Amino acid sequence: MAAGAPAAGRALVIGLAGIALTALGLLVSGGAKVAFSWLVALTFWGGIALGMLFLVMIHHIFDASWSVVIRRQFEHGLASFKWLALLFLPLVASVYFAPGAVWKWMNPAYDLAQVGGSGTVGEDVLWAKKAALLNPTAFVVITVLSFGIWIWLSARLRAASFAQDADGDLKWTYRNRVTAAFGLPLAAVTLTLAIVLWVKSLDYHWFSTMYGVWYFAGCVRAALSMGVLIMVWLWVRGDYRGVLNANHFHSIGQLMFAFTVFWAYVTFSQYFLIWNANIPEETFWYNLREMNSATGFANQWKWVGMLLLFGHFFVPFFLLLSYKRKLSRTQMPWVALWIAAIFLLDLIYNIWPSKKDGNGDALPFLQLHQVWTVTAVIGVGGICVWAYLRSFPTTKLIPIRDPRIGESLTYHESSAD
Amino acid sequence: MSHAAESAHDAPSILREVNPTPLPRATLVENNRSFGWITDKICGIIEGKTPTWWWVCFVVACFVASFTVAGLTYLVATGVGVWGHANPVNWAWDIVNFVFWIGIGHAGTLISAILCLLRQKWRTSINRAAEAMTIFAVVCAALFPVFHVGRVWFAWYLFPIPNSNYIWQNFRSPLEWDVFAVSTYGTVSVLFWYVGLLPDLAILRDRFTAAGNRLRGWLYGFFAMGWRGSNRHWSNYEMAYLILAGISTPLVLSVHTIVSFDFAVSLIPGWHTTIFPPYFVAGAIFSGFGMVLTLMLPLRAIYRLEDLITQYHIDCMCKITLATGTIVGYAYGMEFFIAWYGANPYEGFAFINRAFGHYAWAYWIMISCNVITPQFFWFKKVRENTTLVWVLSIFVNVGMWFERFVIIVTSLARDFLPSSWGYYSPSIVEIFTFFGTFGVFSVLFLLFIRFLPVMPMAELKAVMPQADPHGSGDAGHGASGRSH
Repeated sequence: MAAGAPAAGRALVIGLAGIALTALGLLVSGGAKVAFSWLVALTFWGGIALGMLFLVMIHHIFDASWSVVIRRQFEHGLASFKWLALLFLPLVASVYFAPGAVWKWMNPAYDLAQVGGSGTVGEDVLWAKKAALLNPTAFVVITVLSFGIWIWLSARLRAASFAQDADGDLKWTYRNRVTAAFGLPLAAVTLTLAIVLWVKSLDYHWFSTMYGVWYFAGCVRAALSMGVLIMVWLWVRGDYRGVLNANHFHSIGQLMFAFTVFWAYVTFSQYFLIWNANIPEETFWYNLREMNSATGFANQWKWVGMLLLFGHFFVPFFLLLSYKRKLSRTQMPWVALWIAAIFLLDLIYNIWPSKKDGNGDALPFLQLHQVWTVTAVIGVGGICVWAYLRSFPTTKLIPIRDPRIGESLTYHESSAD
Repeated sequence: MSHAAESAHDAPSILREVNPTPLPRATLVENNRSFGWITDKICGIIEGKTPTWWWVCFVVACFVASFTVAGLTYLVATGVGVWGHANPVNWAWDIVNFVFWIGIGHAGTLISAILCLLRQKWRTSINRAAEAMTIFAVVCAALFPVFHVGRVWFAWYLFPIPNSNYIWQNFRSPLEWDVFAVSTYGTVSVLFWYVGLLPDLAILRDRFTAAGNRLRGWLYGFFAMGWRGSNRHWSNYEMAYLILAGISTPLVLSVHTIVSFDFAVSLIPGWHTTIFPPYFVAGAIFSGFGMVLTLMLPLRAIYRLEDLITQYHIDCMCKITLATGTIVGYAYGMEFFIAWYGANPYEGFAFINRAFGHYAWAYWIMISCNVITPQFFWFKKVRENTTLVWVLSIFVNVGMWFERFVIIVTSLARDFLPSSWGYYSPSIVEIFTFFGTFGVFSVLFLLFIRFLPVMPMAELKAVMPQADPHGSGDAGHGASGRSH
């Protein structure tokens, strides 16, 4: 079990190397493009951590039993929040040192002609109406507040769970239920505000009430995928032998299936309602991702959208329909990896097209700057995995004194909860 | 690989350290009741003499239902002009009441199907009555769109039946989608309910036959479709139940999604918002559970069903109401926020008008009932006070009716053309018609209580400790599921 230490070291080295390579991108592609890549990486790994936070709290609020043996791994995953907050600092710094580089509205003097518009942001009546939220101070306050709440909730949940291993006191179970009860609405509101400010406001004219729900669905899907990868990793390593049984794999597979459908439901509803109403104020966001206004032809993002439609819904939907596949420890990691990769693509699809050329068209999907997205994802991911592996050996593999640990270890398909 | 096989080899040392802190699960059937007690208790409701309160309620319900009959008769005889619709509010009472009732109709299938798939065994005490409630609510809901077509004898035009008039339905209209969604939902809900009833109908057949009541014995036997309780019967039953649960789950979500599309596909400020589908589904579950609490708590008190509908069941229902009410609150907040953030002056006006315009009273009733009321369920003392829970459930019902009223009427009453603005008030015919639907619903529910088992006896027995093949005393959780 203590084998986490060298692996943690490797993860840290990989993470730092990824960050260093991304920094190299500053010289090659410029700060703005690297910042976009950095944002993709942070919303990807931050999304996984948020998904884990939600899953831990949902576990406690439901007094669930089957997931007790898996919950501890999610609790380790929550250790990444403080590092994610640290890694977010360059973007916060950009607010003051390069306003407008990522979020145009940070700089009222930003010349919209650079992205196919006219006038400046400050002259834009749509920005003026939203300026109470879309300003540097609000951005920093909400970012700090969001990370602060996530770190605080994570610390409470982890501390109570770990403490119970030592003394077996029921008060820790009750404390985590209370934390989950107020933590869920708090996390829901902060997640929504964060994703609105970080991603949706990249195209600050656009709006959709579904956006927070969309990000939540993606976060939980990615967290579940990461859960499967950890389960199989620990199974192969031997730690989880005799702890996990086929039904744990089946149940987490069912949850992945349910959230696959939920993501599709949310994404379809958003697209369909905007397409059907056909209001230019809303449709431009999708048009940007479908065609090049200068030529009138489909752009690369259209095919990314198609890949999302099939790859993020149909493929996992049909793969996860199979009962046997959900039990397979050779196939499920691939399904999990696929879902996590497509979640990343979904974020790229939401973030990158907001980086426009002089005609107001999205920069192509396949360009050199995507290399920095890859290195940023590896860099931030390395740090998150390092945080997980650093936390891993500090506690028991499973919550040995949890009131429901017995039910979890003997979990069978028709058990309750 | 089976669990036994997996744990047989290489069991890690961590398992030797496992020592769960004792925290017993709540029992789902209290006071260590026997299987026979459950059968006697549930069948006793049907077999006993019809109580006086039932007759009183039935007569009152029939009287109230007559208001709907009178209202609809007058409408058919006179024309839809007897409803209070007038420019710009040409769509109000009918669609408000349709959405209200169809929302209530969601809890039954949710409890039966989704909680079944989630293996929530506490559903067994309430699922039968909730399913019945679903069907009766769908009946009440269907009345409004059918009669709002005006010439009700042409309502069949809604179906794409080839005919010589070359009528081609507008498949691009979500109202047409409603026809398919609601009729499919109604059909599957009835099937689901009926399949679940089969074993219990057979019990009633056997008991009435043994008691010498051959007519009722024959009737229950006819509807029990030859159920004998053989292994093969149970096997087929389990599979059918699971398949129906699988079919019903997307159905229950799709119906209210399509109901939300009735509004969201339009361009009307206050209606066109992307969060409507999940927000409407959450609202439907919220209102459905509100109505389940409203119905089940008096039933529990009258028939002394405290051992079967325990405090744990009430807790669970209250918590779902709290959770869905909070989700609905999130949606209200998001709508308001995006109305501001979107910077569309029409959207902004629509929401300001909701909160501070002529219909502000309705908006604040909605907020009070749907967002504030469920927050009381945070407190254990409130959840343990059944009278208070019942009162709060009424507020939920009221609030959800007002939600639909607020969404529909406020947006239409202040449309794009200020010169056409108006103020909608329902006509007496509309009020009578809606008021009467509570009678229709009550009549059907009272008949259900009197003639059909209000709880699934076989399913209840399966969650008792006696059903656990391993002899676990951990009631409700040691039992091996729905293996009856």
